[in-house]
Amino acid sequence: MENLTRNFICILCPNSCEITASFNNDGILRNIDGFSCQKGAEYVQQEIYNPRRNIATSVKVTGGELPLVSVRLTKAIPKEKIFEVMTEIKKVTLQAPVSLGDVIISNVLGLGADVIATKDVPRI
Amino acid sequence: MTRDVRSYDVLIIGAGVVGCAVARELSRYNLKIAVLEKELDVGMETSGRNSGVLHAGFNNKPGTLMAKYCVEGCLEFDQVAKELDIPFKRTGKIVVGFTEDDKKKLYQLKEQGERNGVPGLEIIGREKIKELAPYVDGEFALYSPVTGILNPFIYTIALAENARQNGVDFYFANEVLAICLANQENQPACYQLTTTKATYIGRWLINCAGLNSDKIARMMGIDDYTIYPCRGEYFILDKKAGDYLKIPAYPVPNPKEGGLGIHLTPTIDGNVLIGPSSEYIEERDNYAATQKIMDLLLKDGSRIFPYIRREFFIRNFAGIRPKLVSEEQGGYADFVIEERTETPQAINLIGIESPGLTSALPLARKVVEMVGEKEHLKEKADFNPYRQGILCFREQPLEKKKELIEQDPNYGEIICRCETITKAEILQAIHNPLGVETLVGVKNRTRAMMGRCQGGYCQTRIAELIMQEKGKEPPEVIYARQGGNMFTGRVRD
Amino acid sequence: MVKKDVLIIGGGPAGLAAAVKLKKLGVESILILERENHLGGILRQCIHDGFGLTRFKEALSGPEYAARFVAEVQAMDIAYETSTTVLEITADKKVTAVSQKGLQEYQAKAIILTTGCRERTRGAISIPGTRPAGVYTAGVAQAYVNLKNIMVGKRIIILGSGDIGLIMARRMTLEGAKVEAVLEILPYPSGLPRNIEQCLNDYNIPLFLSHTVTDIKGKARLEGVTVSQVDEQFKPIPGTERDYACDTLILSVGLIPENELALMAGVELDSRTKGAIVDENYQTNIEGIFAAGNALHVHDLVDYVSLEAENLAEAVAEYLRQGSLPPCPILIETDSLIGYTVPQKISGLKDFQLSLRVKKPFQNCSIQISQNGELLKAKKMRKALPAEMIQIKVIKSDFLTNEIANLRISVANS
Repeated sequence: MENLTRNFICILCPNSCEITASFNNDGILRNIDGFSCQKGAEYVQQEIYNPRRNIATSVKVTGGELPLVSVRLTKAIPKEKIFEVMTEIKKVTLQAPVSLGDVIISNVLGLGADVIATKDVPRI
Repeated sequence: MTRDVRSYDVLIIGAGVVGCAVARELSRYNLKIAVLEKELDVGMETSGRNSGVLHAGFNNKPGTLMAKYCVEGCLEFDQVAKELDIPFKRTGKIVVGFTEDDKKKLYQLKEQGERNGVPGLEIIGREKIKELAPYVDGEFALYSPVTGILNPFIYTIALAENARQNGVDFYFANEVLAICLANQENQPACYQLTTTKATYIGRWLINCAGLNSDKIARMMGIDDYTIYPCRGEYFILDKKAGDYLKIPAYPVPNPKEGGLGIHLTPTIDGNVLIGPSSEYIEERDNYAATQKIMDLLLKDGSRIFPYIRREFFIRNFAGIRPKLVSEEQGGYADFVIEERTETPQAINLIGIESPGLTSALPLARKVVEMVGEKEHLKEKADFNPYRQGILCFREQPLEKKKELIEQDPNYGEIICRCETITKAEILQAIHNPLGVETLVGVKNRTRAMMGRCQGGYCQTRIAELIMQEKGKEPPEVIYARQGGNMFTGRVRD
Repeated sequence: MVKKDVLIIGGGPAGLAAAVKLKKLGVESILILERENHLGGILRQCIHDGFGLTRFKEALSGPEYAARFVAEVQAMDIAYETSTTVLEITADKKVTAVSQKGLQEYQAKAIILTTGCRERTRGAISIPGTRPAGVYTAGVAQAYVNLKNIMVGKRIIILGSGDIGLIMARRMTLEGAKVEAVLEILPYPSGLPRNIEQCLNDYNIPLFLSHTVTDIKGKARLEGVTVSQVDEQFKPIPGTERDYACDTLILSVGLIPENELALMAGVELDSRTKGAIVDENYQTNIEGIFAAGNALHVHDLVDYVSLEAENLAEAVAEYLRQGSLPPCPILIETDSLIGYTVPQKISGLKDFQLSLRVKKPFQNCSIQISQNGELLKAKKMRKALPAEMIQIKVIKSDFLTNEIANLRISVANS
């Protein structure tokens, strides 16, 4: 009987742990090995069944010290939704001032994550 | 589509150092003058891409125009630099040798130089070499005290700006496509030029097109000039290397080569150049650097200057010599400056390679003389030979710096950290008298982005200032040449 | 002449952390000089997340990480000047700076150099080819895209697998550009594995190791590059050339500590780090001039920059109290597989933080610290990568004796 394995690099912290997941013949996860904290094990589980990512990008601002405000999501979204969320973010234009932590889009596409500003953009 | 038609007394083709010098010298007289240039700034080809050396004139055969004009151009340059407000240093120069054969050649060079009228030439030994250039190797050398260094961009820009001040019009992005000679009876000859942008009519045509001067001549029906492009590559070293070299150091030249050999030149700004190589190529505008030549520069340069360190490299570039001799013929052909009977009032300057930078003003005066032989030139009463450059904040004493910031706070904002270039200087460069709007135009006028970080800190700021001051959108910002757009658009519209 | 106890040159993560810590240690007379019009340094353009996991135990974006320190600086009323560029510093700790307000001279008791680093450029690595528009270093491209709302290109090749290059590969992809490939001349990546994973693999961007750009084409705007595989000596292998059409080449080929001011004051640099040679107090060879952060050595993570600057602040506070710090005659030597260490010398009298990098990747190795041929301490590691900075806390009791004998750092396969 053959052991099926898949290797992962945990992206949650700079340790970048190399984690190996092994499956039995029916594709059922049997073992996870190589993580140095519980988060790593959780990450691999998630990566197998429902990979998620955060994204960081920018939103247009008018009348501000900067033409853009940087934004990120409050929590990771399913990987395959990244470009759909980008499309939503690109639609928004804000009026300065914008403050760090401002919710730009709440519950984007119903995914349970908010798009928030990550810097202040004062009015000129 | 209607085309603009513009009439002038004199049309100068090419805004290299020769075209700009001709424009400046002719602007002393009551003439309506235009300079047509295919690039977006002056000095974009051979004139700006060289060692920046004001040659003394000992490398050229006695009796040639090269020898005559080079010596003349060199000796008069203190006054020129003063009039045009450009940095210039008579550093002197050494040509170093190692063997008895080298020594013989150095004595021959010295004798040749003396016949050309170069003052002060001297054969020196190791001790004097160590004194002049402590880090340069060599058993003996020919020392030329009058050789100097200058910034070839700034010199060309200064000539053009002075010409502009005195009424000359500059048209960039105007590549000449066709020339038509209208020779009517009882009428003076008249040339009609079609460029990529407009039509120009002029009584006089001065062909200063450098690498393309043979093409321009062919458009006039003269087909016996052939330019052979010969590329020379350079490395630019950090100013830290400048501490090791204060005087140009050349090897003994190989007369077959048609170049002066790979040498080391301090720049007026304190960097060091290694180069140029000498390689005949097909295309006249292929300024690519090649791995093969870069390796050669390192090897040859290290022969006379063993202190070349990899970490000193900040950039490389290439220039192309407009040679009138092919690779097989080798060596140099003399400058051609002539008016052919079949094309009256058209003066062709062909094969103006090194020492063209040094000879530019004497060549320009020759053009004036040739024009003056045909028609009476009336001096302009208000001709002003003085041009003012952009004041360099970095070089001012502390008190003057304080004063400048008080007068204009933009002197207190450093845009280019490596070269200490202020916002005031950048703004002056953006609003230059020639109307040049490229990023490289700002760079060549101020030295911003020329330092060790190569614009890593300031390029974004300068691009932004160009957009602000000139009301441009990102896709309209040009790096150096037409089609060289810096950006594709906005991230968010 | 304005007098200050401490002048901090550079208001990025290192300078800010140093200022806050100094203030907490009771130093009152502090001034931060920052050349940009905002505090925060390069973090302002690093909008991706992943900062702060060590320092704050949460994943922040660069601007948020900086904002935490800026808020502290402001809350603690620490003085700072922005849009102010230092022109000169001297060994007797005089500082000349300019701003639109004028030229100002300062006299400090201590100077902290937190001037960050700059990117290695095309010229520094001498890539053959033409010089068209469209060749950008990763940080410059990042500034255009994240701060200036300017798109630098649409079809991109990235040379170098440094972290900023990887981050930009993802960033440009999110904005609709096509990143054709990332090339790395070394046989292993320069950036962190997790960035290879989340910036390249997530977006199916190929990474070619032992490959480099051997020609750049295009006279006005970039039209394409030639890519070649290289041998062990990094020489291109003939016959492996492949042409890519692209309008943009992004370079992520290394960072160099910014030390032009340090050199003016006579600070001695380490040819390996290109930063100052410092002792356990982060003091340079010039008494009272200290350095930390990327100006000292290029870090992999900003968290370590802040922590290093906080350690430095403790030493500076002590320097101000005592008027001097103990001599550090014990040199730290390395074997040929260790890239460098910081500090380069110690007193032997107190604990210190040893930072180092290995020169090539190791699996199951140990970093060994020995003195007089005797092993003092060994840190076992499952893997050690050149991309990652290794930190070891060395405590005083680890020292064999109090005698002045150099420490030797080596790496061994276990």
